[in-house]
Amino acid sequence: MIARALAFAAGLAAGAAQAQSPDGLAWLRKIHDATQKLSYTGTFVFQQGARSETSRITRYVYPGGDIERLEVLDGMPREIVRQGNMVRCYLPDAKVVKVDRRSPDRSFPSLLPEQVNALTRNYDISLGELTRVAGFECRAVVLKPKDNLRYGYRLYADTASGMLLKAVTIDARNGTVEQFMFTQLTIGHVTRDMVKPRHQARGWRIEDAQTVPAHLTDWGLSSELPGFRKVVELNRRMESRPVSQMVYSDGLAAVSVFIEALDARHDAAPNGLAAMGAIHIYTREVANHRVTVVGETPAASVQRIGNAVEYRQPPPR
Amino acid sequence: MKDRISALMDGELDEHAAEDALNQVGRDAEAGETWRTYHMIGDLLREDRVLSPGFAARVSERLGAEPTVLAPAAARTPRRWFPLPVAAAAAAVALVAWVAFAPQRDVQPPAPAPGPVAEAAKPPAVVPRPTVAANDYLLAHQGFSPRVAFQGMAPYVRTVADQRGADDRGQ
Repeated sequence: MIARALAFAAGLAAGAAQAQSPDGLAWLRKIHDATQKLSYTGTFVFQQGARSETSRITRYVYPGGDIERLEVLDGMPREIVRQGNMVRCYLPDAKVVKVDRRSPDRSFPSLLPEQVNALTRNYDISLGELTRVAGFECRAVVLKPKDNLRYGYRLYADTASGMLLKAVTIDARNGTVEQFMFTQLTIGHVTRDMVKPRHQARGWRIEDAQTVPAHLTDWGLSSELPGFRKVVELNRRMESRPVSQMVYSDGLAAVSVFIEALDARHDAAPNGLAAMGAIHIYTREVANHRVTVVGETPAASVQRIGNAVEYRQPPPR
Repeated sequence: MKDRISALMDGELDEHAAEDALNQVGRDAEAGETWRTYHMIGDLLREDRVLSPGFAARVSERLGAEPTVLAPAAARTPRRWFPLPVAAAAAAVALVAWVAFAPQRDVQPPAPAPGPVAEAAKPPAVVPRPTVAANDYLLAHQGFSPRVAFQGMAPYVRTVADQRGADDRGQ
């Protein structure tokens, strides 16, 4: 009897250990390393509800840097090319190139090992099944959120290289919110020509975001969202208007708060909530400014952050 | 039920009511047909690229099968004299009613009440898709999402939504 109780307790302990398996973390690090180090080219399908779109992604790593090119294969041939911290987005229908720089004071997209470990604060990480995706034997890594402020994920990584072949975002009802899945992938064998933009973009308008790190003392949140902390503050331009941006993250999901002065040209923009797969966008007005909150989180998280945004009057001099 | 399906499509039902309505659409053949018909009408009004074949015939057929639209006198008249014009008239009435009473889905949600905290308490279960202008915010946001560390540029595909497809059905 006692032996059985002990065995039961041991079973429970094993179950608890599995919920936060070191193997899961090791796999996340492996995926992360593969994303940073490998050259590859492949075709993936992005699916969001009934919509799906096929794109090609190619990454070229060379000594001292990397170039990544994403091309949408359906419809208008839109294209995004990233070189180091600079992202160029080619929109042929509008004949516009949007240039965005990630703020130089942070080395996104790389994550430090302790940041991967910190994910266990908000997610239970475990290993799932072995399965084949696009011809690769993959291990599933399951991130189950500890509350309903974030989505869950099932990540499928090539057992040999760690390359992420499939990523599924899962809501609280265990439904698929959106997914990325490679249908074909070649690791290595990438040349510089393969990451050249297909658009010459001669005569196109260039919209440069001109991001500058900032300390936004006038704005803050009246209450923080559990598990999310501020990771970036900066000023940027959008089209030509100045916009401030604060980014909150739990280590995996991120929510951006954009703040811009309301003027006659832009106050017609809609207020309220909009959704696109896992992305929610929530807009409201605060102190004669337009606040736009964008995040790959459930609607409630984006709304809670949006509603907590407050203007902090500078102290009188 | 039709009002509820219309409200569901416009994102006006709260989560609970929307779930009931969706269940009914799934279970009840007539409700399901109404759902499809409303979406086809929506597609037509938004001039989407793809209209399902036989759209007009199906709308007419559906509406023609609704005795309540007609005056009682019509039921006494020999049926074979009337079906086509009646169905066409009914279709016209329904289209006008749709335009007059059903806000289009891409018109965006109503402005929030002065107290936005209360407004946000219960998000509607069916939320409209963002406008194309939202792509700028998405692009600006995407660079700071840690997901890029695990997935490279793939999530950026969301930031270049095809303008012509941006208002497609998201559900």
